[in-house]
Parts: sequence; structure tokens; C-alpha cells
Amino acid sequence: MTNRLSRRRLLGATAATAAAGLLPLPAFHGSARAQAGTLRLGVPTAVTGTWAPLGAQVVRTSRLFAKTVNAEGGIDGRKVEFLIEDTQGVPANCLRKAQEMVEREKVNILLGLMASSEALAVMPKLAEWNALFISSINGAGSMTAEAYVPNMFRANTSGPMGARAIALWLEDQPATEFFSLSLDYAWGHSSVEVFEKLITGMGKKAIGKVFAPVGTKDYSTYIARVRQANPQALYVALTGDDGTAFLRQAAQYRLGEKVQIVTELVDLLNVKPVGESAVGLVGSSRYTFAYDTPANVDFVKRFTAEYGEVPDTFDGEHWQSLQLLAAAIRKAGSTDTKALIQALEGMELTSVKGPIKVRACDHQAEQQGFVVRVEKRDGYPHPIPVVIKTYPAARVTPECRKASY
Amino acid sequence: MDQTALFVVQGLNALALSALLLFIALGLTLVFGIMRIVNFAHGAVYMLGAYVGATAGQATGSFWLAIPAAAVAAALLGWLFERLAFRPLYGREGTAFLLVTFGLALCLTEAIRLTWGADARRLEPPEFLGGVVFVLDEPFPSYRLFLIAAGIVAAGGLWLVLHRTRLGLLIRAVSQNPAMAGALGVDVRLLRGAVFAIGCGLAGAGGVLAVPLITAYVGMGASVVIDAFVVVMIGGMGSFVGTVAGSALVAATQTFGNFYLPEMALGITYALMIVVLLLRPGGLFGEEE
Repeated sequence: MTNRLSRRRLLGATAATAAAGLLPLPAFHGSARAQAGTLRLGVPTAVTGTWAPLGAQVVRTSRLFAKTVNAEGGIDGRKVEFLIEDTQGVPANCLRKAQEMVEREKVNILLGLMASSEALAVMPKLAEWNALFISSINGAGSMTAEAYVPNMFRANTSGPMGARAIALWLEDQPATEFFSLSLDYAWGHSSVEVFEKLITGMGKKAIGKVFAPVGTKDYSTYIARVRQANPQALYVALTGDDGTAFLRQAAQYRLGEKVQIVTELVDLLNVKPVGESAVGLVGSSRYTFAYDTPANVDFVKRFTAEYGEVPDTFDGEHWQSLQLLAAAIRKAGSTDTKALIQALEGMELTSVKGPIKVRACDHQAEQQGFVVRVEKRDGYPHPIPVVIKTYPAARVTPECRKASY
Repeated sequence: MDQTALFVVQGLNALALSALLLFIALGLTLVFGIMRIVNFAHGAVYMLGAYVGATAGQATGSFWLAIPAAAVAAALLGWLFERLAFRPLYGREGTAFLLVTFGLALCLTEAIRLTWGADARRLEPPEFLGGVVFVLDEPFPSYRLFLIAAGIVAAGGLWLVLHRTRLGLLIRAVSQNPAMAGALGVDVRLLRGAVFAIGCGLAGAGGVLAVPLITAYVGMGASVVIDAFVVVMIGGMGSFVGTVAGSALVAATQTFGNFYLPEMALGITYALMIVVLLLRPGGLFGEEE
């Protein structure tokens, strides 16, 4: 009783001081945290901008996760709450929002960062903030190589891993001359670099490449460039609205009739608005609802019941990273950054994408590589990705602290 | 692909892009010419046109109904906005209009996001525009040829309205001297509303025409409106001929520039603008103020 009274008086006192402008917010948050015991997770992601549709996936899957675990009593008895902020996909914004979350809101776990360039901006600060970041989207190979930091884990398939899977598939294909088209930022360059190295290693030829600025909507020039180079196959690493625009326009120029188009990333997001003309597109898949694993069937069921549509790439990837976090918290019995890092290193888990293993040496989750082909199937209003090849983790994951093969 | 074919195809690409730019830039320059307002919400209105058009097209199954639906919705919004938000502000300095149109852009973007969600919307052109035409043995999308035609029709139509009708006469009169036109009995306020609605309607039509190429997505307005501003700056604020020339120049610079200097893709349009403004500070066809 006395205890409660004194806390009340203390609260009153802090409120008065804060009102006087002498002591700003932190005291309030300290007390709020002590009361609720709620675990707050920071998600600085791109709610607007080129990646807005991907950000929407992160947001809805975060909500579904909170709803699901809170209905079961939370993780280790702690309710989960997401703190979502818009970064517009701009590294400087992301850094600022993440810092605010850590310093003002006392969050120590960050998830759902959108662009690799954002992740790379935040990573050097993690140790200083004593915060943990689990990537569910970021593809740049360097994050688990030269830019590695102990406080970052990558639960998702990286760009190089995607490039590797499609390159392995191409090994048995007749096309020998390749052209690459990608976006002009960290992920795009990393993806094309790895892809070119892999196919030249197989004795095939990389005859040219071009990078379009993020936000490019008229791809006619780039399509003309591909036609002029006249390769047998075109490797594409595009995402978000840019990817949709390219695929639509490529279909309008009948590019696929002259050149085989393969991509690092097949997303429903791009396939749906492209419609029929996406049929036949082959590429790596980081996640598709069509994976036939018990965990995935359960996830797709939950997701469809909640949102009335099947989950897309980053719904699945984000869900996997959240499963990993939940497992780590249970194993560590704590949400302390150091304890979680220790728990995550070497952790094994069967998730929506099958078995994954977080290796201790560079914090990349080893996982299978999938190659899909977009096909028409009964029961779906749009074409869907169908898995045509699965590669074991050992074949697609690079060596420790390496971004290439 | 030989050099001639490449050059011709790229020329057509540039014309198609300039047609799309023209729809937005014409509205911008018209509004500026009459009202001396730089309309920041123009991109958001273009986006509204895209979404309304995509939805109308899907509901009716007709691409030809989608275009007027988009243009009318955008024009209606423009007309309402002029009545409700601009009228109290006439007589104030330009910054008031900058703020209020910027505010409209933000509100409209959010309203679209809330109404339609984050997923892109698509709209297919009619069957006979869905195919390709062979240009020197190279497949070229018929739809892009249609865009070029639509751009010519829009620019020609607007020119006829401005120079061959009484409405056009009044618009030009108000643009040159609003006080004198008002003194001669022209209802300047009504005319401003009409011009703003026409400008928005053009942007809305441009929005729906862009959907078959790039789909309708939140944020499509922001990227295009910057190019449209550059077009208007290069052509000369308020100049009809300047806007047409500016669209062609910007589109050609982007299309050929991205081809030969892809590393410069982002900067090349601005480089063009800087050069033009250094040589002619008022734009190619504008008057120095």
C-alpha cells in the first residue's frame, strides 16, 4: 500500500515537473513500461514511397502477429505491441526514427526495415544503442559480410542467395548470354554483381547491365537498351512499384518473346497487376504462400481469414523473423539485447519456409532456396508462383561473412 | 536492332512520354497563367484520376468510360477546391496558395491510400490497343501510339478552346489583365473556377491514361509532378507553346539521356533545366518578370 502511494506521489511529482518543462518525457515512459510489462517492438518501415506496398505487408503481418500471440497470452507472458513509424524508405529518416524509438520510447528490438540502404545506415549504431535488429526484408549481401555487426540478424533470404538460386537453375538452361537490369542502390548492385559472377563462373557470358534510379516508371528506354544488346536472357532485380511498371511494359513490348526474363524476386505484388502477361516468368522466391509445409499452411490459413487474401513475399518473410524472435525470447527467458543475441546464435527453427538455422559466424539464417514459375491455376483470380525447384540451404547460402560464392 | 530502328523507336518512346507529361503540364501552366498559383496538388489530382479511372474501368469493363470518369472526378474536385479553399485567399500573396495546395496534396494522397489501400490497381486498354505495331521490324506497343494521338488531341483541343472560343478569349483576357477584364464585366471568379477545373480535369485524364503503363499506385503523383514542373519552367510559366515544347524537350532528354548516359538518369532533366534557365531565365517562351 505504502509502495503504491509513494509511486503515486512520485508520478504526481514527475507530472508537475514535466508540466513545468524541467523534465521531459522519459519518466512517463519508464512508469508506463513498469505497469504494463508489454513488449514493444520498433518497426521503422516505408509506409509511403516506392516501397509502400511492401511496407503495408510488414504492417499487416505485424498486426496479425500481435493479435495471434496476444490471444495466446503473449510471448513468455508478455503482450506484444508494435510501434510503427514511416521512413519513406529514406536512410536518414530511418536512422532518425530508429533512434527516437530506442532513446525516447525505450525500444530495444527493431524489425521490418525496408531498404538495405536504411538497414546499412542503422546497423553501425546498434551497439551504441544496445539494440537488436532482425532483418526480414533487407537483401544487400554486405550486411552479413563486410558490414556485419553483432547486433544484427538476417532471418530472410538475402539478395545474393536469391541470385544464387536462379543462377543454379539457369546452369541447366540453354541461354548463354545475359543482360542485367536492376535498381540503382545497395540491393540492386549487390544482386547483379553476384549474379554476373555466378553465371560467368558457369562459362556463360554477362554482356551488359544497366541500373535504373529508384522510382523509374517509364522503362521504355531500358527495354530499348536490352533489345539493342540482344541477349538470350535478361536478369531483372526490381521491386515495389518499379518492378510492376517494368513487367507490364516489358509485356507490352513483347520483350519476353525475344529474351527469356528471369528475376531475383517474384512477388505477388508485381504479378497481380501485370496479370496474364506475367505467366511464364521464372525467378527466385524468398517466400510464396504455395510452400507446402505445415507451418506455412497454418500461417496462410490465419492470414487469409484475417485479410481475405493470401500472404505475399514479405508477409511470409516478416512472419518468419517474428517467429524467430519469439523463439529467441522464450529460449533466453528475457528480452535483453545481449541475452537475445546469445539465444539467436546457432538457433534452429522450423518456420513457414521450412527449416532454418541462424549461424553464429555472420548471423545469416541458412535456409532453402526456391525457384518459381508464374502460372495460371484454378481458384485464383490472378496467376500465382509455383515452386519448380528447391535447393538445400547448403547450396544457396554463401560462406560465412561472404556476399558471393 | 539496327541504329535506325533504335532511333525511331526511341523517338516514339519520347513522344509517348511527352504526351503523358503534356496532360499534367498543360493543366499546371493554365492554372498558373490565369491564377498565378503554383498548384502543388496537381500530382495528387493526377493520382486521383488514375484511381477513379481504374475503378470505373473495372466496374464498367470499358476503358473509354474510364477516361471521362477520371477527368470529370478530377475536374469536380478542382472546382470544389477552388470554391472552398481558394476563394477566401484571393488577394493574399502566393505563399498562402502554396501552403493550401500542398496541404491538399497530402490530404488527397492519404484519402486515396485509405480508400483504395496500398496495392496497385490496373486497367487494361481495349483489345485493339493491347497489341503491337511493327516499326522497322521492332514491336512497338499500340497503346503508346494511342498516347501520342491523345496528347496531340488534348493539346490541339486546348489550343482551339483558348484561341477560337469565347471562353478562351475571356481566359486570355483575364490572364493578361484580371482587373481590366473584371471592370469590363467578366466574372473573374467564375472563370478562375472553370480554369482550375479544366486544369485538374486534364491531370485526371493524364492519370488514367498512365495506368495501363505504370498501374495506379500511391505516390505516382509525386514522381511525375516534378517532371511537369520542370517542363513548365523550361517552357515558360503560363505559356501554352512553351509547355508543348518543354514536354517534348524533357521527354526526349530523358529517353535518349537514359539510353546513352544511364548513370546520369536522375540528373539529366535538371541539367537541361539549368542550361535553359541560364540562357533564358523566363523559360523558352516565357516573359522575364
